[in-house]
Amino acid sequence: MEPIVIAKNLTKSYIQGLRALDNVSLTVNQGKVLVVMGPSGSGKSTLIRTFNGLETFDRGELNVLGIKIDATHNERKIQKIRKRVGMVFQQFNLFPHLSILENITLAPVHVQKRHQLEAEEYGMYLLNQMGIDSHAKKYPGQLSGGEQQRVAIARALALKPELLLFDEPTSALDPERINEVLDAMRRLAKQGMTMIVVTHEIGFAKDVSDQVLFMDSGKVIETSTPDVFFSNAKHERSRKFLNQLEKH
Amino acid sequence: MKLYSIMIFFKKLKKNIFLNFFNTILSLVILLTTLLVCLNTFRWFIFNADWRVVTSNLSLYAFGSFPSDEQWRPAIWITSLLLLSIITLCGPCWKWIQQNLLLAWMSTIPLGLYLLYGGFGLSPIMSRHLGGLTLTILLTVCSSLLSLPFGIVLALGRQSSLPLIQKLSSIYIDVMRAIPLIAVLFFGQLLIPLFLPVGIEIDRVWRAIFAFTLFVSAYIAEDIRGGLQSIPNTQIEAAHSLGLNQYQIMQLIIIPQALRIALPALTNQAIGLFQNTSLMAILGLVELLGIGRSILANPEFIGQYIEVYVWLACVYWLVCTIMAILARHLEQTMTINQTNF
Repeated sequence: MEPIVIAKNLTKSYIQGLRALDNVSLTVNQGKVLVVMGPSGSGKSTLIRTFNGLETFDRGELNVLGIKIDATHNERKIQKIRKRVGMVFQQFNLFPHLSILENITLAPVHVQKRHQLEAEEYGMYLLNQMGIDSHAKKYPGQLSGGEQQRVAIARALALKPELLLFDEPTSALDPERINEVLDAMRRLAKQGMTMIVVTHEIGFAKDVSDQVLFMDSGKVIETSTPDVFFSNAKHERSRKFLNQLEKH
Repeated sequence: MKLYSIMIFFKKLKKNIFLNFFNTILSLVILLTTLLVCLNTFRWFIFNADWRVVTSNLSLYAFGSFPSDEQWRPAIWITSLLLLSIITLCGPCWKWIQQNLLLAWMSTIPLGLYLLYGGFGLSPIMSRHLGGLTLTILLTVCSSLLSLPFGIVLALGRQSSLPLIQKLSSIYIDVMRAIPLIAVLFFGQLLIPLFLPVGIEIDRVWRAIFAFTLFVSAYIAEDIRGGLQSIPNTQIEAAHSLGLNQYQIMQLIIIPQALRIALPALTNQAIGLFQNTSLMAILGLVELLGIGRSILANPEFIGQYIEVYVWLACVYWLVCTIMAILARHLEQTMTINQTNF
């Protein structure tokens, strides 16, 4: 099993004392799903955003798909990583001036220099997989949140990535719309996609994840398999968090 | 039922206009004055005004002193612009028309330049023969088209992270906005020839177009900057995460959205520019207003300036209205799906 992401002692600090990341180390192997949990402000978004270079870090080492980056934030290496890593955001971040299909074909055509027709064909295939191929000609503003998020997943998949990052993909959705997105992610996991998911969805984490990483104030508190984490968490802080989460 | 609504109407009238003695007097005076003004205007229009100054000079208003046996050329250009406007606004929604409209609009500019200046089979025409509405439209179209890319560059420059470019763009924009347009136009007409080396000469029409471009692009830059600033950072992050580079993000994500947001302000600039071309009459170009002035200088029509200026106002109003309707149409088609910012 080949490791896809290896992080060693990642540290990022804002103004003195406040650490967004504090000596974070982790490994994600190919085909595995890592769920990152933690209270808001614990640095989980910052962590996942360092993996494709949207955030810098001050110390430590990062190896994504065999490409090593360090605190110098080498722009060319990051560009290489971004071409092989897809990302899905909390607020979808679709491009409102482009149609659904154009949103998806944008990167294949302009980054990978594929033919327009070929990219459109693959884009339609992805939309079909996500169950929204009937909306291909519409614009993001005409779709519901759940549909937009599935388009965002298809857009991330269009580059045929080897790793997918999800930054709270269901937090901005209506409760009724959450499942359609989670189902799409479940299918991806079944197909063997390597994924790192920041989420509060316990059900999803229990079913799909191979590992759960719990963070608080920039530190990794515990890394366990979901069985252990949800029934018998090792750390007091994790148990407290889970209690809070289950009360909702 | 009908009677009832008429009664209500009169009741409202009484309540609003003839409430008490003082109000009644005031209302009557205003009504009387309005009536008299309307009556006098109408009488002047029908009986006193001598519209020959307009009717016998129609080709002058349209084409200026363009050689008379070549006047079909600007006529074709203006007609094609008009036809295209009509097709854009109320033409059938056939797919091939919709797809080629932009191309058609773009091609009117080289077509116009070819028809007006000649060459390649048409007899060449000097730009001093250009005049009237033709010249006004030429000035507007060319200046607005040139100032758009320049304005975009300035707006991007003002946002640049390179301090030199940022400062230069800011200074340029601030200076241009602090100078009255007429001064820039004088600069274009009188000073540019002095600065150019001997032998190089730009004709007066193009000097005017450059002066307009220099001026308007500063305003356009500010309009576009507003658009640029309203694009959320998350759009840029999303584009980064897809592996697009800085240049592609600008070209594919930021500028199209910024232009769309700035569109109402930009059409406003275009209409303003169209009206401001009349300033060139002071500087000796015989565009629409200029041709009116030179017709008034003709002894045959001396003193008939009211007719001429009323007519010119109507023409300006007509063209501006067409531009405004087109602009609204463009905004509607472009913003139809834009609710998700």
